[in-house]
Amino acid sequence: MKFDGSICLAGFLCLVSIQASAQTPIVDASAPTTGPISGYMDFHFNKGEAEDGVLDFHRFVLIVNHSFSPRIRFVAELELEHAFVEGLEERGELELEQAYVDFLLTRSFNVRAGMLLVPMGIINERHEPPVYMGVERPFVDTFIIPTTWFENGAGVFGEVGRGFRYRAYVMAPLNALEFSADEGIRNGRQKGSRSDVRNVAYAGRAEYVAVPGLTLGASAWSGKSSFLAPRLDVKVRVGEADVRYRRNRLELRGEFAQVWIDDAERLNLTVGQLTGVQPNIARTLRGFYAEGAYRVWQRGAGKDVVGFARYENFDTQFRMPSGYIPLKEFDRDAWIAGAAYYPDPDIAVKVDYVWQRNKSSVIIAPNGLNIGIGWWF
Amino acid sequence: MRFTTSMAIVLALLMTGANAGSQTQRRVVRVSAERFAFTPSQIVVDAGEEIEMRVSSDDTAHGFRITGTSVNVVIPKRGRGEVSVTFRAPEPGRYVFECTRMCGAGHHFMRGELLVRNPSASQSRK
Repeated sequence: MKFDGSICLAGFLCLVSIQASAQTPIVDASAPTTGPISGYMDFHFNKGEAEDGVLDFHRFVLIVNHSFSPRIRFVAELELEHAFVEGLEERGELELEQAYVDFLLTRSFNVRAGMLLVPMGIINERHEPPVYMGVERPFVDTFIIPTTWFENGAGVFGEVGRGFRYRAYVMAPLNALEFSADEGIRNGRQKGSRSDVRNVAYAGRAEYVAVPGLTLGASAWSGKSSFLAPRLDVKVRVGEADVRYRRNRLELRGEFAQVWIDDAERLNLTVGQLTGVQPNIARTLRGFYAEGAYRVWQRGAGKDVVGFARYENFDTQFRMPSGYIPLKEFDRDAWIAGAAYYPDPDIAVKVDYVWQRNKSSVIIAPNGLNIGIGWWF
Repeated sequence: MRFTTSMAIVLALLMTGANAGSQTQRRVVRVSAERFAFTPSQIVVDAGEEIEMRVSSDDTAHGFRITGTSVNVVIPKRGRGEVSVTFRAPEPGRYVFECTRMCGAGHHFMRGELLVRNPSASQSRK
């Protein structure tokens, strides 16, 4: 009887131990972490047709973060572009691309304030080198959406339901007096440096991420941008839609973006009077691209190669104000084809070739070879 | 001897039954992580339900923590497998899960929700 009792006790203990192991969550506190500093780097070789090759340490980015509490957190991103700063943008830039405090309240409603990335397009908020194809960022995300677009502001973000995400910010506007024919609104970014907020801009983005592998996004930006010339009424609007889809080895991306500039005729006159140079600013800019990528070698770490091709069409002179003729060399399109090898998922060794064309019969858009290595840590 | 044998069989059946019971009750939820989202980002379970979460990454290493619980693990990088977390769903309520490892500009967007329901209430709805 004593023997039988011990068997029963052993059985009971077995059951308890099974139950206990099922209730105990796995805690892996010893796993490696990035620590308070992380970041990414971009090192490039660019060789345009009939030009000398250039070696450029394009981006050196450090990201720091700190949690004041589980609900109040700080993130900053400091970027050195082109390795050397001499006071002029042509040599290099030191930029505070992000520096904000998040107040994490609920899943559906959180508050953010500081230096913010404008929630616009695929690349502006998601620009770590291993996550996009090609050595350089897409042309549309450079000439139509002025990536990296960052500005002082505050706003809210969150996710509602099953996979509907949003961001809505109030930010400092663009400076329309710096717009140009070739780079559109890019030079109008105030970059958070004593930004003039006589007027403010509103930026928002909605995303749907509930379906595995699929991200649908749409973004909008609107702001009166003529604070240095108050008699003008240069309201600028940017609209954008994008899609990313990944299934097995295949990844597809597409993006469309358009910029509308009100009162562009008087803006051209004013800039011409101030600078003595006719800027030929368009009233509408437009760009789009489609990209397909395929993981041709997928055998785990160190055996990982993706090939891709992308077509881009971008025109910073798409619609002109009355009396202005578009400069055809800025109506451009490009094919980019290349590959990325990942010795580690956080390191991308990239090579691509760019075939560029424009509508000008005089000025030829140069083709180019790009080789780069980018890494996240 | 015969009694002892029969007790051993009963014990074995009990253990097998207990194992089978825990396996049938355990619910496996697969979660995919990628800059800057978890998919699915909302998971609905019943309080007391045994959950096994298998979390994998499509890019870099991410963290995975469920606030209000002791679940806190690192998700290995793409191609390096998945992390499995087994736990019993806590009291009814909303629990945020989030990435705890800085993964890029949108790191703080990487949050989801574990919605724990009262099982009796969810049965009455059925």
